[in-house]
Amino acid sequence: MSQWVIKGIRTGIKTTAYPRGAERAAGVTPGLPRGGDVGAAAPALVERCLTHALEQTNGAISVDSRRCVHCYRCVRGVGQPLNWEATYEWGGAIATPGLKNELAQPFRHSIHVLVVDAGDCGACLNEVKQLNNPYYNMHRLGFFITPTPRHADVLLVVGPVTDQMRFALKKMHEAMPTPKRVVAVGACALSGGVFAKSFVCGNGVADVLPVDVEVPGHPPPPLAILHGLLVAVGRKRPLPLPAARDEPV
Amino acid sequence: MNHADLKEQIERRWPGDTQVGRDILSSTTEVTCTRAVLADLCRCIFQDWGFSFAGLIVEEGPSAWQLRYAFYGERDAGWVHVVVSAPVAENVFPSVVEWIHAADWHEREAEDLFGVHFAGHPHLGDFVLHDDAWQENVQPMRRGFDAQAAMRHRLPDADWRPRRIVQEPGAFVMPVGPKFSGVTESVHFLLETVGEDVIRSSTRLFYKWRAIEKLAEGKTVDEVLLLAERFAATTAFAHGLAFCQAVERVSGAELPARARALRVFLAELERLRQHAGAIQEICESTALVVANSQAGMLEEELLRVSGELTGHRYLFGLLAPGGLLCDLPTDACRKAFTQSQDILKRLNELERRLSISSSFLDRIEDVGVVRLSAATDYSLVGPVARASGLVRDLRRAQPYSGYETFDYQVPSEQEGDGYARLRVLFAEARQSVRIIEQATAVLKEGEVCRTVKFRPGAALGWVEAPRGGTFHWVRLGEGGRVARYRVVTPSFINWHSFHLAAEKFAFQDFPIILSTFDLSVAENDR
Amino acid sequence: MNTPTLLLVFFAACGAGIPLSLAVRPARQGFVLAGLGCLAAVAAVAAGIEGLLTGVVFTQPLWSLPGLTTLTLRLDPLSAAFVLVTGLVLFPASIYAGGELIRESAPRHKRAFTVMLLALYASIVLILIAGDALLFLLAWEVMSILCYLLVVSAPGEENGQVGSAYLLLAMGEAGTLAAAVGFLLLALGASSLQFDALKSGASALGASARGGVFLLTFFGFGVKAGLVPVNSWLQRAYAAAPRAFAPVLAGATLNLGLYGILRVNADLLPVAQAGLGLVALIVGTVSALLGILYATTDNDLKAMLAHSSIENVGIVVAGYGAGMVFVATNHPALAAMAFLAALYHLINHSLFKTLLFFGVGAVETQTGTRDMDRLGGLIKWMPLTALGFLAGTLSIAALPPFNGFVSEWLTLQVMLRSAELSSAGAKIVFASCGAVLALTAALAVTCFVKVFAMSFLGMRRLDVERRVNETEPAALASMTILAVLCLAFGVLPTYVIPMLDPASRQLAGASASDGLVPPFFASAPAHDTLPVAFVAEFHDLGAQVGQHIVGGRGLVVLHRGGVENPVVFAMSTSYMLLTLIGLLLVTYLVIRLWLTRTRKLARRERWDGGVRRLLPEMTYTATGFSNPVRVIFDAIFRPTTVEDTSETVAEHFRMAIRREKERVHLVDRLVFQPVSSATLWFAHSLAAMHHGRINTYVTYAFLALLIVFAVLPAY
Repeated sequence: MSQWVIKGIRTGIKTTAYPRGAERAAGVTPGLPRGGDVGAAAPALVERCLTHALEQTNGAISVDSRRCVHCYRCVRGVGQPLNWEATYEWGGAIATPGLKNELAQPFRHSIHVLVVDAGDCGACLNEVKQLNNPYYNMHRLGFFITPTPRHADVLLVVGPVTDQMRFALKKMHEAMPTPKRVVAVGACALSGGVFAKSFVCGNGVADVLPVDVEVPGHPPPPLAILHGLLVAVGRKRPLPLPAARDEPV
Repeated sequence: MNHADLKEQIERRWPGDTQVGRDILSSTTEVTCTRAVLADLCRCIFQDWGFSFAGLIVEEGPSAWQLRYAFYGERDAGWVHVVVSAPVAENVFPSVVEWIHAADWHEREAEDLFGVHFAGHPHLGDFVLHDDAWQENVQPMRRGFDAQAAMRHRLPDADWRPRRIVQEPGAFVMPVGPKFSGVTESVHFLLETVGEDVIRSSTRLFYKWRAIEKLAEGKTVDEVLLLAERFAATTAFAHGLAFCQAVERVSGAELPARARALRVFLAELERLRQHAGAIQEICESTALVVANSQAGMLEEELLRVSGELTGHRYLFGLLAPGGLLCDLPTDACRKAFTQSQDILKRLNELERRLSISSSFLDRIEDVGVVRLSAATDYSLVGPVARASGLVRDLRRAQPYSGYETFDYQVPSEQEGDGYARLRVLFAEARQSVRIIEQATAVLKEGEVCRTVKFRPGAALGWVEAPRGGTFHWVRLGEGGRVARYRVVTPSFINWHSFHLAAEKFAFQDFPIILSTFDLSVAENDR
Repeated sequence: MNTPTLLLVFFAACGAGIPLSLAVRPARQGFVLAGLGCLAAVAAVAAGIEGLLTGVVFTQPLWSLPGLTTLTLRLDPLSAAFVLVTGLVLFPASIYAGGELIRESAPRHKRAFTVMLLALYASIVLILIAGDALLFLLAWEVMSILCYLLVVSAPGEENGQVGSAYLLLAMGEAGTLAAAVGFLLLALGASSLQFDALKSGASALGASARGGVFLLTFFGFGVKAGLVPVNSWLQRAYAAAPRAFAPVLAGATLNLGLYGILRVNADLLPVAQAGLGLVALIVGTVSALLGILYATTDNDLKAMLAHSSIENVGIVVAGYGAGMVFVATNHPALAAMAFLAALYHLINHSLFKTLLFFGVGAVETQTGTRDMDRLGGLIKWMPLTALGFLAGTLSIAALPPFNGFVSEWLTLQVMLRSAELSSAGAKIVFASCGAVLALTAALAVTCFVKVFAMSFLGMRRLDVERRVNETEPAALASMTILAVLCLAFGVLPTYVIPMLDPASRQLAGASASDGLVPPFFASAPAHDTLPVAFVAEFHDLGAQVGQHIVGGRGLVVLHRGGVENPVVFAMSTSYMLLTLIGLLLVTYLVIRLWLTRTRKLARRERWDGGVRRLLPEMTYTATGFSNPVRVIFDAIFRPTTVEDTSETVAEHFRMAIRREKERVHLVDRLVFQPVSSATLWFAHSLAAMHHGRINTYVTYAFLALLIVFAVLPAY
């Protein structure tokens, strides 16, 4: 057994500096498209986006990051690719006056998170799972995962909420004591992704539960999920989000 | 059984009832037969001639049902498709489960979604559409069903009871899930027990059913490619590749050499990463914390390698029918290979350390055994099958994308227990890096995509995904739109056999056995 | 009232049962039984208390049988203690039995039941106050027969009832025979059969005779008490006994066996060899372990209680064993402590076991089943019954501040005091037995958590159509009385111990309360005998709290070791109760006045993993809960597989899996079945003599005559 102890000590510290510093390693984030002015190529680019995440007004493209499924059709195979940013701080909250999306002060440094799979493809859940490996180590930030809603402060939902998981998801939310916040992670949870809208999937978690923090991405990398959780406890400022569009995908 | 003999054998044994056709390009023998001889013919193909059962594809035409039973063998035997038709009004077919147990879940799914009845199947119903949640007589895959219609959400049925098999005084059914443990997918287990051991394990899947087969109907090839990549994204590239190969086969497309080599490169990179993830899950389930951390680091590093090379950690947005959506610079590929080699060294070291940790081995050795006979009856695929001695790797048996030009081994074990599956995972990781090295070496300058002209028609695409063989059946209609998309995934095949491993072991072994199977609920549920 | 008057009242009440039951209609027999029984019980309690408090031994010769003995009555402190506990048990038992009779609609046997039960009361007390061996044995026989008759008095209530009752009678007679032979051996050195004479003549007996008397009476009376290996009748008879009688069987008649052992081996012929005491200790410990193992893994409420009785009897006998060893090795103070612990546990067991039998009877009446696997959630429909049952469960699981805790604590402390012994072997035996007793205490908690949880808590497993009501007032009243007594005996050990002291003093020759209840209170008469330094030390720890509110010696049970082992063991359930109440009150006030100001209380459905509907069949059964115990102790249980088949279609579709295991009790397997098969074999081989040929029979007669003529001249 001692071989493991020695191995562990010798491996040293691998944890990322985030959130105290920026993480600059390659491959930590796929990035998200940022809008921009593309002039005449705009209508064609908007056409290429299969989930209608792009909108254009006079050549200026705006991106609803909730709908981006990282298909790269707007960058690959086009003459004028859209501008992408290799960021990862994507956690956003709808700016409703008077409503606080983050938990109160006592929860700033320690929360328990209940992770619910409401039909996700496996990638978002895998990224959440990476939060426990030494590179991200969410425990150092005071975030713990709990299997029971009775101990949970934050409900982290991935997946587009299939019809057969709807009842269970609602039950979980009801079983959580207040104060509680809902963090919806991934494009499917925010807009239904490529699966909405059908007889078994809605337009995301907002159809079923009130969502406090949204983390777009497909899947959002672990750093983005960390940012979303930090927003939920008020340690990071959220990105303001535009109102969701109602038109079907 | 050589494919040349197949036609002659079949025509001799069932002269009036069968019609045999052959497609050389996909080495498929297609046998159209009547309902009367269906069961006998399938039994012969499966049991006597030793083919494996890939899946059942049900298609509803404007006036007739068409059921296609797909079998595959070794390279010289190729594929056998048994096709049987009947008018739409007559939706009863003979069941083949008495001889091909692997067809069990396929028939149940067809009955739930299409309303096709299989006479002789002991237990139909309550499969994809949960009895306690869905209304009666809903068949979502039928032509007349509108996929965009919102379903009325029903309150759970008060009279529903789980199907109980164990009759022992004091037996009860322990429910696990759909929410259980820390970060797990949503799946429901009903474990019949008298307290310590699992006497019978029954899995209730399809809580995550997103009906991609229905959603695909009427969409363009590009849109369906998005679905194919994203319904089980931990093996996104493999599924996208299978779909693309099906479409390319329908349209008779030829791929450039660089595209084929890069596809192999990326597929093996994904296999390496997914296996590292599976090893991490096994270490986590046995609570060997340092090994869990070490494996977790290796998986994260492979994700970063994938992200650095292709822009996306799960290899999204690379595939297109006819090749790849974008080219990857050869230097970047070489760098990725060097990084993978380094990671492999540490993976090998991890394996060595695990093999001398007796407390770890105690928990996975002789636990969750799947025998070769069961693996054959259930037509298992992937590392699970190879750990039990059933070796039919699609890369070797039915090569695609130029795999026949690479030099590699297909590892296998005999014991069929958890430790055997773990050893197979490590060995396959080593072979993957070997293939990556060769793929990098053969990269020459050239184009990576040739535009494909879509033709109406249907074909099967197959890929040896990290979890096992996956089969995508695509029928294209007019205008390059998909008319029918049928997906048989390795998790669907292997979940079927999970109960064999879980039964007769204690509750504490259950999560460990589950982790050694490396099953994905999203892949099964689609 | 003095003792003779009280005894007269007692017997008169029992005797009045005959004319009154004839005079009253069958439908109202219950009132007769309850009234007379309560009157008799009150008289018994008073007589017992009188006997203990005054310390005067009451003797009354009755009839003289020339050549044999004089039938005598004798009430000494030991008898008084047993008479007291009998009265305490019979009071609520009479109310309960009366209620059962009234509720039952079938009129048959009610008169007979009343008469027989009252006669049983009389015979029990007669055994306890018998002053000579002959009256003792006569009363014992009457009691045995009455027990048998009462068990078969309610036909149809139980399968195999007559068989179980017959086994009770047969094994009981075998035990009585052994005990009678023991008495005869004891009488070898005495002039008559009176206990006084036996006691004075006992010193003349040799070592082998002493050993013989011990073994015969220990195992002879052990049959009635339910010691391993002669307990095979107990679990069957308890399960078969009708609801109205089972509490008396468990609470009153069980004690008679324990009384017999104590009377002969601690009073008449005190054990002089430590080895015999160790035998008692080991037998007691083994009984305790086996009893609780079978109780934990049994799903029938009544059978489970029977096995638990074996466990508790084992603990009492272990205390006896310790006391006997201390008497033999000349440690009278420790012996007194041991006998007191045993007596205390005996009383406690009678109280809480009777209470539990009331509860089980109530559950069976309302739900129609005794199988824990089919019960559940009853607390919603029978809250008061559940409360009473909970009191009994907490007591038997030895949780403070109830009475079970006090007597278990005392017993285990006695085991620890074996450090004073000089023999290393004896110390090892004590240590091992102490460890096993601690294990049985832990298993007892498991067992009764299972019992209470599976019957009253959780989800209801009974059919939805079955209406379950609260129990009728008679049963509730009897449960309440005993629950209060359980709490009282738990919270006031410093009053119970001095009360029982005369009995243990009679057995050990030293005072137990001197060693267990120091007179910390200034008002206590013996307060001045305590050393000043000692008092000062404990004054700081609060040993004198309450001295101005209540009288008595103090509220702390405290034992000091000897000079070589200056340890201190202390406990106060009285303070525990007050602290408990205080903490609960404070918690309640904090929640009520502070927490609920800023937070709202929300009630939600239980969390079940997100299943659509949690069904009763998805919850743990009693079998599942106790399965780990079954698995760990598999070597003792050794279940045999009766069935293990699975029905499959098409090789892989399983339609049914049928499994059934059979468990035969270890004692049945090792002792009872071999003995009965040997007996049957012997009888069969003797039957070979009865082949029907007249000629051979004539030859037998001729041979017998020859032998007689050969032997007769020798006379």
